[in-house]
Amino acid sequence: MSRQHTPQLAGLVLIAFFAVFPFVYSANDYPYIMHLLITGFFYAILASSWSMLAGYAGQFSFGHMGFTGIGAYTTALFCHYIYLSPEATNLCTEYAIGDQFLIFVNPIGVTSSTLSQDCLRQALSAWDGSVQVTAMPVWLGIILGTVMGGVFGLLIGLLVLPLRAAYLALFTLGFSEILRAAISAEIAITRGQAGIELPYLFDQGITLFGRHFDKTDKLPPYFVMFFLLLTCLGILAWLAKSKFGLFVRALREDQDAAAALGVNTTRYKVLVFVITSMMAAAAGAVMAHYVRIITPNNLMILQMSLVVAMAVIGGVENFVAAAIGAIIIEFTLELLRNSFEVGDIVIDMTIWRLVIFGVLLMITLRFSRNGIISPIINHFLRGHVAKETVAKRGAAAESAGGSS
Amino acid sequence: MEFPNIFWGVIGWMIFWAVVGSVITRRLYLHKDLDTSNAAFVGSMLGAAMGPIGLAALWLKTPELTNRLLVWPAVGAVTLIAAAFAFADPSNNCVANGSFVASQISNGIILGIIYGFMALGLTLIFSILGIVSFAHGEFYMIGGMVAYFVTTVWFPGIYPIVGILAACLVTFALGAAFERMFLTPMYDGKIERPVEYGILVTFGLAFTLQYFIQATVGANPVKARRFFDFPRLRLPTAEDPWLIKTSRGNMELFDTISISNPRFVAAVACVLVLLALLYFLHRTWTGKALRAVSLDREAAAIAGINPDRMNMLAFALGGMIAALAGSLLVQAFSWLPQVGAIPAMRSFVIVVLGGLGSLPGAFLGGIIVGLVEATGTGCVPDAQKAASYIPAYGMIVLTLTLLLRPTGLFGRRFSGGAHGKF
Repeated sequence: MSRQHTPQLAGLVLIAFFAVFPFVYSANDYPYIMHLLITGFFYAILASSWSMLAGYAGQFSFGHMGFTGIGAYTTALFCHYIYLSPEATNLCTEYAIGDQFLIFVNPIGVTSSTLSQDCLRQALSAWDGSVQVTAMPVWLGIILGTVMGGVFGLLIGLLVLPLRAAYLALFTLGFSEILRAAISAEIAITRGQAGIELPYLFDQGITLFGRHFDKTDKLPPYFVMFFLLLTCLGILAWLAKSKFGLFVRALREDQDAAAALGVNTTRYKVLVFVITSMMAAAAGAVMAHYVRIITPNNLMILQMSLVVAMAVIGGVENFVAAAIGAIIIEFTLELLRNSFEVGDIVIDMTIWRLVIFGVLLMITLRFSRNGIISPIINHFLRGHVAKETVAKRGAAAESAGGSS
Repeated sequence: MEFPNIFWGVIGWMIFWAVVGSVITRRLYLHKDLDTSNAAFVGSMLGAAMGPIGLAALWLKTPELTNRLLVWPAVGAVTLIAAAFAFADPSNNCVANGSFVASQISNGIILGIIYGFMALGLTLIFSILGIVSFAHGEFYMIGGMVAYFVTTVWFPGIYPIVGILAACLVTFALGAAFERMFLTPMYDGKIERPVEYGILVTFGLAFTLQYFIQATVGANPVKARRFFDFPRLRLPTAEDPWLIKTSRGNMELFDTISISNPRFVAAVACVLVLLALLYFLHRTWTGKALRAVSLDREAAAIAGINPDRMNMLAFALGGMIAALAGSLLVQAFSWLPQVGAIPAMRSFVIVVLGGLGSLPGAFLGGIIVGLVEATGTGCVPDAQKAASYIPAYGMIVLTLTLLLRPTGLFGRRFSGGAHGKF
């Protein structure tokens, strides 16, 4: 086994470790650690897809969190407002599909608890339990959210075609802010800052490996997020190896030169936006169902800075490194969350850890442009190449010296 | 409140013809081998203002797109929207109530001057270094914090000008140090994509500064006392002060326009500093050197100007301008570590609208954005919704600018440095 296979081997070991971990780990803080891992995977998906967008294709978009929000809000609204009922309510907007009725609940905003009940609740209380209303399946919401992310990605990708660098960053930041403002303002539909609740990922619980898991168990969402991460990494790896990866990198280095050499820059620029925003939207939708509440604050620029920082510290030009960086940083940030005392002064690490993190981000950028984890991977992958090159150069120099 | 369909009809009509106009006009000008740089803008505005008739005339004649053709269709489109709005909702406060309109406009202009001043710092940094500083909002926040601590916590009763000067000094030093430590590798070609590096590293600075202040000061809002009280004025007579009436914290003009003291003081100070800045840029050697570097780096270097030093000066000066705006506004708003985010966004909008790197553009853009926000908050019928949408108004302006005329009002082409990259 040569050195260059070490990263692949390490990757397989890592995957195996994460696949087995929830079964063997059984300490008291099991739910906490599982929650950390799920959040870590979530950020890993975001960081790796952002590294494809920014590191590979050179499109420094600050709207990635916006796409997460689109995925999350699409599935939230879908599960919140659409139901199937065997009987007509005669109150809501409804359409007959076969012997069922597709019901669109009217939005009533945040005052639902007492004053004005929505049309479905009124119908339900009139039926008095005689009719069973079915909620929409969660997986359909997640798929819809992903598709919606793709549609918006297409739109943004088309709009930003003529924009580069700073203009692109500002435009995507603007998109994300408009989205956030709209979600906070349309209280009647999205409940604004109060946030909208979502059903459990598996509302009935699920039976896996002959064991029944309750809907509050962490293991099923863990595996859903884990497989989503693996799928995303797989797609990204495939894309990076195919001519797609080559073309987007050409686009990053010099858009005009790439176009002159026959790369369809329009298509690839739009395509990379669509793919990465679909990944972000899927991650956002799954995460929203796991956390079970989504507020417009999830789209804040702060969240975006976290993703950017994770990707940069991991290595923005290597999506695997970005993903690993995200998981490691999520863990470190959580572990640093305890306060300690120096003399009489209590140092509140919940804030200071973020300061340290910011300094780390700047120093990484300054002194190691490829992040911290990516050079380690490259060291193993390219080590032999460097050695060969040195040897060849030496030989060339020798022969050149000999001939002259 | 439901809007009559006619309003949405008019808006839909305008948007449709604007899109048609922008796309087809550009194609047509490209086809006829004419200058297309303003074609999309003129086409969309003419389409919005005059519909198919205007567009048909434009397409038939394809005239040269002069400044007059740039301005009037835009004015026409805005007027049309305003007219449709007034027609659709005649009882709205911002249609029926004249004094409300006057107050909104004057407030919009005053805030616009302050915004424009802050954006000036950003555009200065951009014109010299060729990067957009994402830490601009944090400099603004730190300026306010320093002014608050000096005037209210540490030395209560001291002249406010000391606090403002302290804020300027601290941020100037901070900006210079940051530039020396983190931005220098941009200049010598060691970094492949300097523009992206600049965005990311200032982004990191913003993150760090914001949490550093939150860790040291805490997350509770603070507020400085008023810097300056108005003298008591009653003009023309004490009995009937219809011209001007002041109390310590407020000023009322013509019985209708009410201007709060902190904002007025901030706007006046901004105008004064702006004049000083213009003097500095146009009359002193250093200022001229700064402008020379922004025009052409290499030529400036040949003429004996050290561009690296000018980079440091520009970054420090830009940050200081933001801090100055912050230290003037800390008496008007309550101050939090996160307070910089919205002004920073607004600055981005303004510099793009005015044209990245253009100083007069930043100032005019500031006033336009101030007016747009005042219109938005005043005219949207649902007050709560209007307030929630405040960050979006500017962003809509930004989006439209980038789509229709990416160079902004006074954009120019840059040469040298990181400018050639975009």
